[in-house]
Amino acid sequence: MYDRNTIRRRRAVLAVFIALSIVILTAYFGESGGGALHTMQRGAQETFAPIETGATKALKPFRDFVAWAGDTIDAKDQNTGLKDEVERLRSDLAEAQTSLRDANQLKAIRALHQENYFPAATQPVTARVIAKSPTVWYSSVKIDKGSNDGVRVNQPVIAAGGLAGKVISATGGTAEVRLITDGESGVSAQVFPEGVTGIVRPQVGDPNDLLLENVESGRRVTERTLVITSGFTSSKGESLFPRGIPVGRVTRVDFDELETYQRVHIKPFADLRRVDVVEVLTRRGVAQQAASLPGGGG
Amino acid sequence: MILSVGAFIRVGALLLVAVVLQISALSQIGILGGHADVIVLAVAATAFYGGAIPGSAAGFSAGLLLDLLTGATMGASSLVLTAVGYAVGRFRELRDPSHGLLPLPVGACATAGWVLAFAAVSLMLDIGARVSPLVIRDMIVTILLNALLALPVFTGVRKLLGPSLAVDPLELRKRRRPPREAGPLGLRGLEV
Repeated sequence: MYDRNTIRRRRAVLAVFIALSIVILTAYFGESGGGALHTMQRGAQETFAPIETGATKALKPFRDFVAWAGDTIDAKDQNTGLKDEVERLRSDLAEAQTSLRDANQLKAIRALHQENYFPAATQPVTARVIAKSPTVWYSSVKIDKGSNDGVRVNQPVIAAGGLAGKVISATGGTAEVRLITDGESGVSAQVFPEGVTGIVRPQVGDPNDLLLENVESGRRVTERTLVITSGFTSSKGESLFPRGIPVGRVTRVDFDELETYQRVHIKPFADLRRVDVVEVLTRRGVAQQAASLPGGGG
Repeated sequence: MILSVGAFIRVGALLLVAVVLQISALSQIGILGGHADVIVLAVAATAFYGGAIPGSAAGFSAGLLLDLLTGATMGASSLVLTAVGYAVGRFRELRDPSHGLLPLPVGACATAGWVLAFAAVSLMLDIGARVSPLVIRDMIVTILLNALLALPVFTGVRKLLGPSLAVDPLELRKRRRPPREAGPLGLRGLEV
């Protein structure tokens, strides 16, 4: 059917492509964030950003139609007004609880109180999502605001309802946001009003169920309590999120007497599967500094 | 497949459109928890009509483009899609299938191979988080959606690549149709 040359050529082509892929993989892991492949990646993203933006806008009616059909099938009875009100009240509640807790704790550290350690206002930059990672293994979105708009790496990103993720790379006009549902994500958080702290980690493939890990068994966490960012650095060296951003609500607690830690399940406030608009907090609050000091930020 | 400048341009444009369409629209449309994936369908269709070499080349190119544009680990997608393209191309070359509905199982199998192999590669590389069982549901939904989309995508790719195809499987199907048996000249049509 085929002569030997054809077979050799076919196998050689396959071997070359496989070898190339492995070489790229190895080089990508081996180089730093400013390496050639990462630079090429950023360049490609910047080059294709206008095309992606155009395609996103052009296909929005189609996406909206599908979303509308899906909502109808699901028979969702929530209306926009109530959603907005709940989101506003939730933010107000988190802000009030954060302020109260900060006030009580900062009384005990009067010296630090003098140093302007209260949470400072952040400067949000509103951005539209123009692309989304197609696999569940890498949960990231691309937004249409970049370094020209003040967006920088490691800045926190919020969506309607609460925390969405953080900026992992930024070009002139776009930025890549790693969502909190990404397998590599880790967010330091605390439970209100208990003050229990832990690290919010995702369950890959289930964006509606986050896990608050490394929570000590001795401190009970109750259901339906609020989880917000704590301002601590997580064990993976993630950036500091400003303290007080709502993350989600506790839905279930797996408590095993034999385990040192309990596992807390959280339903995130932000619907990250249907996020269209986000806000990048381009100026982080200084509360994180207070939190990193002895006795600060519980 | 006849390797010409026109063929390269057509396949390149096809893969570019598939990747942009995927990350700009289809990835943002969740259906029952999953979403369709036209990239693997485009690669599978190219391999199905073009053979193993164009298939693996298309898989490598599409994977590299996808990793470049999404900021994912470079090389992972191209590694898996190269294998998918080669496998579909070899299937076509070895079995020489010609049934008109063959894109359905081919699209479904190619998608299954893609999601499973990509999951394995991701787990081996850098996913340190727990994996929810719902991942399996998402995979199944993606496979089913792609099976539904396979027929129109394969038809479109066949028309696009038509001028460059050395052998068209559907033309083969027509050729293989058994000769109509007929009676003597005056009785043709009466199935005697």
